[in-house]
Amino acid sequence: MVIAEHLTRAFDERVAVRDVSLSVRAGEIVTLLGPNGAGKTTTMRLLAGLILPTAGRVSIAGIELTGATAARARGSVGLLTEAPGLWERLTVDLNLLTHARLQGVADPSAAVDEALRHVELLDRKHEIAGKLSKGLKQRVAIARALIHQPRVLLLDEPTSGLDPASARHVRDLILGLRSQGRAILVSTHNLGEAEQLADRIAVLNTALLAFDVPAVLRQARAGKRVVIELEGGEQRAFEIGDVSTIPDIVARLAGEGVRIVRVTPDERSLEDVYLDLVGGEQ
Amino acid sequence: MTGPGQGFSWHRVVSLARKDARELMRNPGAVVPAVLMVFASLFPLFLVIFIVPMMVGRTLEQSGEFAAEAANAAARIPELAGLSGNALVETFLFHQFSLLLLLVPIVSATALATHAVIGEKQSKSLEPLLATPLSTIELLAAKTLTPFLFALTLSWIAVVLEVAGVIAIGEPGLWRSIVTPRLLLLFGVLGPLVELASLQVSVIVSSRTNDPRSAQQLTALLILPVTIIFVAQLMGLMIVGTQAILLGALSCLVLNLVLLAVGVRVFQRETILTRWR
Repeated sequence: MVIAEHLTRAFDERVAVRDVSLSVRAGEIVTLLGPNGAGKTTTMRLLAGLILPTAGRVSIAGIELTGATAARARGSVGLLTEAPGLWERLTVDLNLLTHARLQGVADPSAAVDEALRHVELLDRKHEIAGKLSKGLKQRVAIARALIHQPRVLLLDEPTSGLDPASARHVRDLILGLRSQGRAILVSTHNLGEAEQLADRIAVLNTALLAFDVPAVLRQARAGKRVVIELEGGEQRAFEIGDVSTIPDIVARLAGEGVRIVRVTPDERSLEDVYLDLVGGEQ
Repeated sequence: MTGPGQGFSWHRVVSLARKDARELMRNPGAVVPAVLMVFASLFPLFLVIFIVPMMVGRTLEQSGEFAAEAANAAARIPELAGLSGNALVETFLFHQFSLLLLLVPIVSATALATHAVIGEKQSKSLEPLLATPLSTIELLAAKTLTPFLFALTLSWIAVVLEVAGVIAIGEPGLWRSIVTPRLLLLFGVLGPLVELASLQVSVIVSSRTNDPRSAQQLTALLILPVTIIFVAQLMGLMIVGTQAILLGALSCLVLNLVLLAVGVRVFQRETILTRWR
């Protein structure tokens, strides 16, 4: 549904994104992780057809992105920007109605109701957007991204700054959208959220550092360590070549008369993996 | 209706312009200065023609200075031909002060356009807008259309009020000497062109600032040429007749074409996304 191959984007002398290849399939959520300034927003803008790459190719819903096709490509994508970006003096429905018209939706009023129903805000359609809470504004912004029924959704930090309940509501909404067969790319700083949502995770720091399913990422970068907890609460960590050496370590400790309470192979969290990848780069 | 990405679409331009109009109507900070300008531009003429004579108890004809100037100008201003007495002085002053009404489209367009562009920047709504099939030329057209129509309407309201006021309170039959081709050229041709130039400057300046007031201060420079011409005419140094108006309109047309080229450069999608802060 979304394919980026060897994508590079430079602004004057500064390279924001270098040689990035990734894809998002229909019915899949890919989360994009990376530190500030890693090129996540630039990648989102490239995949949304907002800007063109300096090198490489992008295909959005079957449309090869060029200057001539960019407008058509944008019509296939729903983009949630980092800030909701609503027209705060206007009502919720006028916000969405304008976007529906700009997207060339056949029945704008019906599309507004449908999108608002989707985010459970139909009863707030006549409220002034500026008077809504941050969480509700974000839901209106999601409704706006859905107004033209795009097959591809690009969500830039969709839960940033939201309270836990609102964030959970938005996450549930995103999972619901995946089940409708949409291809969804989510940029986030929240590693827990990334893991919770993602079918695959992409770690970006100008270049793509890793791109795979979470379990494989953790496994591939798993540390070769075992932590042995001794009686009395003492913990000892041992570097190991592979798991077959663990019984030897245990036997050696037992031979020394040490009483072992627990043996734990090193489990890498996504945070460990992320920090390894990004820290190594930095 | 033109579908996404199939060239220039008036449907998209009008959709966005309608949104801008609704936002403007809910934004007193933008609309009130524009409306106040109508009354501010009308006041000097009515002050000189009606209020002052009423207060001092003398007609314009009896106040020597204006009467002498009007008599001197009669040979050079075709609209004054055949007039005498109060009607001559009233028509002369209308001729002089009508130029002030050109400030209405300039100031109104500036006030409205700066809010239309900077408002989008402040609410961070430009990126979602650019994520639609809307082209940058359509965006530029939409951002100009609403302030243009709004300011043009205000300036025509000002003209109608001024003409109606002078006809109602002035000498009988005065309309024949004030509703002239000069007036129609001034507000039917030069006015809209001056307004369009003012709008384009406002939009260009707005792209470089985040504060409507800063943009308005810079674009306020546009009122200088009109003020200078007004003062020069009042001092008898020049007459703004039909030929001068046509020349001014031609100059404004050229200026508008130059500003359009600059505006199109400023309104590049990538420039907006990466440099408009």
